Amino acid sequence: NTYIRLSHGERGKMSKKRKRQDDFQKVKLKVGKKKPKSDNATNTNFKTQAVHVPEQLKTDASLPTNNRKLNVKDLLTQLHHYNSGVKQSALTGLKDLVSQHPSVITSHLSNILSDVSAVFTDKDPTVRAAAVRLLHFLAPRISGEQMAPFYPLVSAHLSSAMTHIVEGIQEDALKVLDVLLEHYPELLTESSNVLLKNFVELISHQKFSKEMKAGGKTSSWILSINPNRHITSQQWRLNVLTRLKKFLQTVVEGLSHSVENEAIFETDDRTGSEYMSTLEVNWEQYINGQQQIQLYEHSGSQPCIGVGTEDGLSSIENLKAFIKTLVPLLLDCWVEASPSQLVAPIPGNLLEPEAMMLMMQVLSIIQLLWKLMHQQDETQKLESWLRNQYLNDFKNHFIRNFPYSVMETLKPKKKDGTKKEKQGAAVLNGADHILALNLALCQVMVLLTNTSTVHLDTEWLEQIRKFVTESLSDGRKLSSHQLSGLLMVVWRLVLIQRNRGASEELLRAVYTQYQQQGLTLSVRTLLLHFFSGLYLREKSSNLLISRSKLLTRWLAGLPLQLAQLGSRNPLLSAQLINVIHAAAARANKELLQSLQSNVYRLYDPQDGTLVLLPSDMQHCLVQLVYFLPCISPELLSCLSRCCTMGRLSSKLATCLIRILHTRSSFGGWTTSLQDSVVKDVDYFSFLFSTLTGFSGDELAWLQNSNSNPHVRQTQFSPVRLYVTDLDQFVHHWTLTEVVCHCLSSIPSRIQCCDILQSAICKHLVGVNLLPDSTAGSVLTAVSQLIDPAFIPNECLLKFLASCCYSLLYFILTLEKNKMNDCLCRDLLWSSCLTALIHIPRLLRLMLQGVKVNGSSQEELPVIAQVLRLLLKQAQLRQHMVANAALLQQVIQDITNCKTGDGQEQWLTELHYWFSISITARPRGTTSLPVTY
Amino acid sequence: MAATAAGPEVVLSADAAGPQWSCSVWEPLSGAVITTYRGSSCGSRGLCLLNGEYLLGAQLGKNCISVWEIQRKDQLQQKIICPGVVNCLTASPNGLYVTAGIGDSIYLWEVCSGNLLIVLHRHYQDLTCLRFTDDSSHFVSGGKDNLVLVWNLYSVLQVDFVRTPEPRHVWTRHTLPVTDIHCGIGGPLARVATASLDQTVKLWGIPSGELLMSVLFDVGIMAVTLDPCEYYLFCGGNDGSIFQVNLFAGPVQRERNFQVDKESSYVFTGHRNRVTCLSVSMDGSLLLSGSHDETAKLWDIQSKQCLRTVNHKGPVTNAFLTTAPANMLNPDCKPSVSLPKFSRHMSTSEAAEGDEAGAITLSLQRGKQDVSESCLARAEELYQVMCAATDKQLLGDGENTRVRVAELEDEVKTLKKINRDLYDFSVQILTKQT
Repeated sequence: NTYIRLSHGERGKMSKKRKRQDDFQKVKLKVGKKKPKSDNATNTNFKTQAVHVPEQLKTDASLPTNNRKLNVKDLLTQLHHYNSGVKQSALTGLKDLVSQHPSVITSHLSNILSDVSAVFTDKDPTVRAAAVRLLHFLAPRISGEQMAPFYPLVSAHLSSAMTHIVEGIQEDALKVLDVLLEHYPELLTESSNVLLKNFVELISHQKFSKEMKAGGKTSSWILSINPNRHITSQQWRLNVLTRLKKFLQTVVEGLSHSVENEAIFETDDRTGSEYMSTLEVNWEQYINGQQQIQLYEHSGSQPCIGVGTEDGLSSIENLKAFIKTLVPLLLDCWVEASPSQLVAPIPGNLLEPEAMMLMMQVLSIIQLLWKLMHQQDETQKLESWLRNQYLNDFKNHFIRNFPYSVMETLKPKKKDGTKKEKQGAAVLNGADHILALNLALCQVMVLLTNTSTVHLDTEWLEQIRKFVTESLSDGRKLSSHQLSGLLMVVWRLVLIQRNRGASEELLRAVYTQYQQQGLTLSVRTLLLHFFSGLYLREKSSNLLISRSKLLTRWLAGLPLQLAQLGSRNPLLSAQLINVIHAAAARANKELLQSLQSNVYRLYDPQDGTLVLLPSDMQHCLVQLVYFLPCISPELLSCLSRCCTMGRLSSKLATCLIRILHTRSSFGGWTTSLQDSVVKDVDYFSFLFSTLTGFSGDELAWLQNSNSNPHVRQTQFSPVRLYVTDLDQFVHHWTLTEVVCHCLSSIPSRIQCCDILQSAICKHLVGVNLLPDSTAGSVLTAVSQLIDPAFIPNECLLKFLASCCYSLLYFILTLEKNKMNDCLCRDLLWSSCLTALIHIPRLLRLMLQGVKVNGSSQEELPVIAQVLRLLLKQAQLRQHMVANAALLQQVIQDITNCKTGDGQEQWLTELHYWFSISITARPRGTTSLPVTY
Repeated sequence: MAATAAGPEVVLSADAAGPQWSCSVWEPLSGAVITTYRGSSCGSRGLCLLNGEYLLGAQLGKNCISVWEIQRKDQLQQKIICPGVVNCLTASPNGLYVTAGIGDSIYLWEVCSGNLLIVLHRHYQDLTCLRFTDDSSHFVSGGKDNLVLVWNLYSVLQVDFVRTPEPRHVWTRHTLPVTDIHCGIGGPLARVATASLDQTVKLWGIPSGELLMSVLFDVGIMAVTLDPCEYYLFCGGNDGSIFQVNLFAGPVQRERNFQVDKESSYVFTGHRNRVTCLSVSMDGSLLLSGSHDETAKLWDIQSKQCLRTVNHKGPVTNAFLTTAPANMLNPDCKPSVSLPKFSRHMSTSEAAEGDEAGAITLSLQRGKQDVSESCLARAEELYQVMCAATDKQLLGDGENTRVRVAELEDEVKTLKKINRDLYDFSVQILTKQT
């Protein structure tokens, strides 16, 4: 930059004479008059102006430049300038450049990083601030891999800054660390040993060897106090410890290879571990070749590459040494922050907010150290070591003033409403913080005890228990984070404790939380996991909780909650169902009772939980039916309606029917008769109503709807057919197949037929209008079940014959161009055919039913076609021959009744088929008169 | 013993029909019935061979186990009375232990002493199936509470009064009762296939304890088995079909035929009702299946054809292929170890009483009964021989006797003298002291 200074001056000329006279003239100064200006006064009546040349005039095309037309090289050279202003502007310029041309980063990364990190230790605070800003800007744009090769350099500069003699530089080094922690945690953890030492040095200094010898047992590090800092030493420690906590957090997460959920209550492995991928094969997909099985890919845990660094915290010795150094320092911090040090007459458990923050950091660092210990191999040994080493200190310092509370620094001065609100929020916030502090304390302390030592620690455990119970049961709504902390403490207390009453009391406190209304999903989930984890562990560890009344009460309440929940929260329902399923499988009496009493609400076909939930949960609920201790007829009718109404998918419905079959006495699953939970009568009525597919009400409604467009009617059969839509038809048909299979596996076939016959006679024979699927299903069922030894009665046969004819008529009059109906037609045709083949006398009755007269002119072609098709069937020939006379009569009638002239096509075909199938038989019976 | 003298493979099948024939042995290829064991009908998964010498069968719905010596066809040898209804039964392949699922607990007996070693209460509902691994180091139990537990036999047997034995793995991924378990080859490294009513078959690894694979079917699965190479998984469905799952992926086919009937190449169809048991022959070519439709069928695995159907008089509950033990074919053989009385209660209390009850009766390898009998006989014989000798000496010729009598009388005299001296001496000492 260039300054040009212009100046003007004027000087009067004086005569010699006057000059001489004037030289010694006395100037009189008077009060109230202005002092005359002296002659040699400088006239400052001019202005200066600076000419700024911020940009270079030249343009260099070879490198991208920033607003000031400076390229990277210029800027980096300016970083080495002695003037701090220049350096600062170079840093901001660099930021400018990088934001405009991101490509510069990749091309000049090594230069930029080496020069910028050198500025971390700059004497001028503004330069350091600019450097941090630049780093903040750069970090998201540089990936970890790109950063890795330069990381040792940056780290060295960082260490140098952290250990710098100037306090300001130390403070700013923490900011640099923040940025690096945020973006390159994995790189930082690699150099953890250096950084950890730096952290320790930031708040303390090593004692001299003499003192060490004298001190003997005390540790070699003591807290340092630097009066030169512009913040208090407490604040400074808080700053350092916050960073240390963050750093340890990343180390812990890096070592455990997975982000640990805080609220894992060691539930059983229902969900399975994440390390293994199970091969899920679906049979249908498998046989279609859509899925391949490669079992050896799934044959065991995948190898995980161990962390190679031995120098960090991953070895036991290093960890122990670090704990030995750090924990005494932390304790000292605690002691200084704790209010008992203050002279003011305040009770020992009131805390300044700042002190509280510091204590919080202390505790969370200890927790992190604990977690690190848990990743070692010899956890047990380390735990007992830690206990021996520090239990007394912890008891002395932590527990003495427990529980802590925060001192209210704000005094109510103004009556302003908003202020009050703010203050209230602050107090609430403070309360949250203090809860967090106390909770962290509890967690740390509880970790120190275990089952073998619990009897030694009763007095302070009592205190903790009291605190936990109070904070759980004071009716406040806890956030999920707080609650998870509390539950962790309770979990551990309950697991290690031998005192049954105390555990029960703790559980009661948790239960009161659970009973609160309007909890958020995460909180509710947490509580559910807590209880279910506790319940599922009841046999695996010799716990006293297995007969806990509270747990039982909680379990017994679940079915009702599930029923009340309805479809409002499927996620929560899924969790509830999982727990109920597990408990039902374990034959928990109270749960089963409660389930039994709520079963109608769960399985109601209209608005039960079963039909409201998504399909995967429906699956669980369907499987739950297996475990019901008693399945009443009412429940069975509910289930049957659920199946037939189509609210369950066909797959689930078949699954449900099979489960019921297994539970019935015909399932062959239970050995003794009294074990079967379904009565035979009820089971049969279930099967029959599922077979029918429509409830009595629906059928009655159908009868009344005369003007329905979907009704088909023929003159020769009393049964009219209602055309169902395709989806329903297919669903119904799937159910029919399953029901037929169930019925056919019942040992005494004749009795089964008898029951079916009486059911059909009772419920269906009187009905005039039947859905087509029902008619088809009934035909299929009877034809599959019929036994040669069973003689069906007249009523049934007549009904079946008319059904059969109606169906045949329906098939032939169906619009043939519809693709969809093809399936339906085929199914119905095959069912009619099997019925005609297997049920004796059915064909005769059907033919007898066809009484052709003049009034049925338009139906004649259809009848002819039916007969022709039946004649074509080889399997039916036996029956046809037996009824040849009747058949001939019918054909005769058709021929006679046909009005109009000439031989029609259909009639010719009919005659032809009749002649070749009946008359041209190889062993022709002589009794048959041949007319054609 | 039996394994070394491996005979041809035979089929053992039992049904739940009636009292007249419980278990029949037939030759797989010809279908000729070799022998039958009579007794009352046998429950599902309740028939097992013990050491190739005994046949154990859990009676259906009763609290006893019938035992046949394998060479004595017709007569029931003994009955083991159990504390409850036996749901399932199995013997370890090395013939040392017998486990039974009674109610919701597992009973473990030692065969040589008949002691009840431990009762494990870890299931919540009735057991359905128990299986040993082929090296007898582990056993796997499945129950109606959806749980499959893997137990390490030796850690179970380690007496520890502080804590109850824990299973090595607890597998809880089934959602309906477990119906069948099959342990593959490889002892502690084996894979275990479990079938369940929840329409899945799951394959687990014992070493890792992880679920390797789960196959979801359309029907509940009642029986499962693997072929010896573990190439195929066979699953018997509730509706009578047997599904074959190939545990390998074929090479990628570039050309595909238009419309191949895929279904038929993976399913054995023929049974009309629930398949209850499956077993594969040692060479992996034959599959045996038993069903509730009162037949047992033998299938050729390669072509999926039914080779033979054997009709039973009731639902088939047990059917398996095994090598015929030598004793079965030779009626003169006798079991090497006699079966002791199985105790109904834990023997720990007795052991605490004194060392006498805790003593173990050793039995030598080669036919304990024979040895003990012959020993007694030999002792008797020896005694008789000795007696005969002395008798002969005593009752021999008269001269000898007279001489001997004289000798004896002399001896008596000297003895009497010695006695007298001793008496005098002691009296002297005693009187002196007082």
